[in-house]
Amino acid sequence: MKRILPFVIIGVVLALGLLTAWYLQRTPAESPQPTPSPNASPDASPTASVAGPAEPGAEPPHALGNANAPVTLEEFGDFECPPCGLVHPVLKNLATEFGPARLRIIFREFPLVPTHAHALAAARAAEAAGLQGKFWEMHDIIYEHQKDWHEAFDVRPIFEGYAKTIGLDVAQFQRDNNNEIVERRIFQDGKRAHSMGVQGTPTIFLNGRELPFQSLEPSKLRELINAELAAVQH
Amino acid sequence: MSSKVGPDPPAGARRAPLLYGSAAFVSLIGLADAIYLTVEHLSGRSVRCTLSGCSEVLSSPYATVGGFPLAGIGALAYFTVFSLATLAAFGYRGAGHLLMLLVGAMFLTTVWLLYLQAFVIHHFCQYCLLSALVTTTLTVLAFLARRSR
Repeated sequence: MKRILPFVIIGVVLALGLLTAWYLQRTPAESPQPTPSPNASPDASPTASVAGPAEPGAEPPHALGNANAPVTLEEFGDFECPPCGLVHPVLKNLATEFGPARLRIIFREFPLVPTHAHALAAARAAEAAGLQGKFWEMHDIIYEHQKDWHEAFDVRPIFEGYAKTIGLDVAQFQRDNNNEIVERRIFQDGKRAHSMGVQGTPTIFLNGRELPFQSLEPSKLRELINAELAAVQH
Repeated sequence: MSSKVGPDPPAGARRAPLLYGSAAFVSLIGLADAIYLTVEHLSGRSVRCTLSGCSEVLSSPYATVGGFPLAGIGALAYFTVFSLATLAAFGYRGAGHLLMLLVGAMFLTTVWLLYLQAFVIHHFCQYCLLSALVTTTLTVLAFLARRSR
């Protein structure tokens, strides 16, 4: 028995380790009931669930594409999160490729505080730009220069520089950074994120179903969008 | 490794099984830490941590080796440490020797990773620091266990 016991213990720990990994990987699917879209394509199985009805989030949302587009990608992003920076050009290219009549992309603020020291400042900057009608311009420039500012001690002058670059009224932008509407929009997007079980960034929902991160590469996303379009047409 | 169960430890070496058992237990903490990081890495999520810096460390080029997450290699290493320590605690002498070699290699890797965090990435990740603490403890335990034999 003494010869076998250590191997039994090792086997049990191996099994527990694998079970733990499996559980962690599936954690988002453990909460109550996913709400799959009636147009669900087979590849885009739901991986997240919604605990009760989802909060509406900031209204109107920042969206590219028509409100009646058959496919909506809703991203919960953090401007300082490196994977979000990698996903940014992918979504931008897909928006161009599919066009506004077929694909709608919504961006929701989900700054991971305190993990990312400047995430909230970046979210405020984007929302403040949104008050002057240039949310997406600021969104793009912040992501595209993520590596330039995330190490900075004080990001405000950098974002003000971006505001100038995209043609904002900088004095108004400075005031709007602490605007109550800006704060409320970030808060409302955060409430929506929590109500939809968002646990990290980037989290992307395809017509209401959370996509696993592995499917965020361009070819896989394109395939999922095409499958969704095909499902809608039938 | 020898598959033969060794003789009962001499009177002065009764601490060795206890030390190996402790090493096995401590390695489970490292294993849990590494499994968590591996799953988070593969799912592509930003891990939540109380120190600012996890994302910078875990998304740096040093977080992967040939496209494979370093945390995954860590999980394999901790599981191997657990296995060897368990075998050593049950008297498999070859296991103790291999454990010392593996833990020594892990300790050197830990020193290198701490250097990278401090001087190259300029950020620390709490999960990596926990792993460093676990590996250091394992090194001490494995060393003491070898000496007590």
